[in-house]
Amino acid sequence: MSMKGGQVAMRITRLGRRSCDLVESLGRAGVFLAQSAVGIPSAEGFRLWVRQLHFVGVLSLAIVLVSGLFIGMVLALQGYTILVDFGAEDALGQMVALSLLRELAPVVAALLFAGRAGSALTAEIGLMKATEQLTSMEMIGVDPLRRVVAPRFWAGVVALPILTVGFSVVGIWGGYLVGVEWLGVFEGSYWSNMQASVAFINDIGNGMVKSIVFAVVVTWIAVFQGYDLLPTSEGISRATTRTVVYSSLAVLGLDFVLTAVMFGGL
Amino acid sequence: MSDVPFIEVDNLYFSRGDSEIFRGVNMTIPHGKVTAIMGPSGTGKTTLLKLIGGQLTPDKGRVLIDGDDVHRLSRKALFTLRKRMGMLFQSGALFSDLDVYENVAFPLRVHTDLPDAMIRDLVLLKLQAVGLRGARHLTPAELSGGMARRVALARAVALDPELILYDEPFVGQDPISMGVLVQLIKRLNQALNLTSVVVSHDIKETLTIADYLYFISEGHVVAHGTPADLDVNQDARVKQFIHGEPDGPVPFHYPAAQFYQDMLGDTATRGGA
Repeated sequence: MSMKGGQVAMRITRLGRRSCDLVESLGRAGVFLAQSAVGIPSAEGFRLWVRQLHFVGVLSLAIVLVSGLFIGMVLALQGYTILVDFGAEDALGQMVALSLLRELAPVVAALLFAGRAGSALTAEIGLMKATEQLTSMEMIGVDPLRRVVAPRFWAGVVALPILTVGFSVVGIWGGYLVGVEWLGVFEGSYWSNMQASVAFINDIGNGMVKSIVFAVVVTWIAVFQGYDLLPTSEGISRATTRTVVYSSLAVLGLDFVLTAVMFGGL
Repeated sequence: MSDVPFIEVDNLYFSRGDSEIFRGVNMTIPHGKVTAIMGPSGTGKTTLLKLIGGQLTPDKGRVLIDGDDVHRLSRKALFTLRKRMGMLFQSGALFSDLDVYENVAFPLRVHTDLPDAMIRDLVLLKLQAVGLRGARHLTPAELSGGMARRVALARAVALDPELILYDEPFVGQDPISMGVLVQLIKRLNQALNLTSVVVSHDIKETLTIADYLYFISEGHVVAHGTPADLDVNQDARVKQFIHGEPDGPVPFHYPAAQFYQDMLGDTATRGGA
C-alpha cells in the first residue's frame, strides 16, 4: 500500500519536474529570441541576412513551387468531381483560390519550410556549436546570437511569407491547368468567380498573417533547437528531428487557433 | 617583465550537475609569462579556461583579469575585455564557411575600421608568423590538424591581444607539428610580450615552454612552482603524473566491486536480469 502511494507520489513529482523543465525551456527560448532578434541592423548584418535569405528562401523555392503546383492540380480535380454533381463547376476557381489562400498555402508551405530549411538551420547551428565555432566567436568578442542567429532568424521570417505567395500563385495556376485546360471548365467563370469571391483583407490578408506567424514560430524553433542542443552527433540528430516535429505540430495547432479567430465568426 | 599578477583566481568553486569540479582553486598568473596548468584528464582544465574567459560562471569565488571581476561584468564589458584576449581551441574552431585568409581577418573586420589593404597586410603578417602565408586560399576542411591549429593561432593573435589561453595545444599532433607549436608559442610570447596560459597534459612540451606551473588534481591546486620545482616535488599525485606511472593515487581501475565477488556472479551486482 505504502509502496503504491510512494509510486504515485513519484509520478506526480516527475510530472511536476517535467512541467518546470518545460516552463524553463520556454523562458530560455523567449530570452534567446529577444537577445538575438532585437537590435540595430548594420551593413554587415544586412550582407549576412541576404546570404541567409538565399539559403533558406531561394533554395526552398523549387520544392515549394512544385508542391504548390501539385496541390492546386489535385484540388481542382477533387473539387471538380464534387462540384459537377451539383452543376456548380463554374465555382471551381473560387474553391481552389479560397482553399489555397486561407489554408493550404500558409500551412503546407510552412510544413515544407520546416522540413527543408528549418532542419538545415538546426543542423548547421548545432554543428557550429559542436565544433566550438560559436564559443570561439564569443571569445573573439562577437556575439553569436547577433552574428549567427539573427540573420538566420530574420531570413526565415521574410522568406516563408514570400514562398507562401508563390505557393498560392502556382497552385491557382495548377488548378487552372486541370480545371480549364483538361476538364473543360469555362475559363471566364474560373477567373471571374475567383475575382468576385476573394476578398483582399479577409482572405489574402488573413492568409498572410497566418504565414507570418508560422514563419516566426518555425524559424524560432529551428534556430533555438540548434543553439540549445547537446553538442554531440546524437544531440544534433535529435534536435533536427525535434525541429521538424515541434514545428509541424505548432503550425497545425496554431492554424486551428488562427482559423477560429479569423473565420470562426462566419 | 614584472611579477604583477595579470589574472587572479580566488577561491573558485564550480560544479556540473552533481559532480564538484573545483573546490577552492587559487592561482595568480603573472604578466608576460607562460603559465601552465597541468593535471590528469578529467580534472576540468578546459573548464578552468572557460571560467577565466567568462563563458562559465563559478558557484563561488571570482576571477580577476587586470583588476576586473570577469563574472560581474556586463555582457558588453565582457565582450570588450575579450578583445584583449585570444583563445586557441583544441579543435582549432575555425569558421567552416570562411577560408584561411577570412578566418584570420575576421577579428580585424569586426573590431576595427581598417581599410582592406591594411587588413591584408596584417593578415599576411600573422600568417607569415605561423608559416602558412601560402595556404591563405584553402578552406578549413582542406587543412591538416596541425595546420588548422596554426591558423587558429594566427587568428587568436590577429588583434594583438595581451593574453592568450591555449586549450591542449599539443593534443593529437605528430612530433613535427608539436615542435612547430612549441616554438610558435614560445616565440609569440616573447615577441608580443604576451601573457600565456597553457592547459595541457603533455609534460615534456609543457615543461620546455612554461615559466611557472600549476598542478590541479581532485578539485584544487596540489602543487605549483617552476618546472625545476615540480620535477623534484614529493607529492605522490605529482610524481605519478610527471613520471607517467600507470598506477598510484590515480588508480588504474575505475571504482568497482571486489573482482572476486564480481566474477562469482553475485546476483546483487548483476543489477537484476
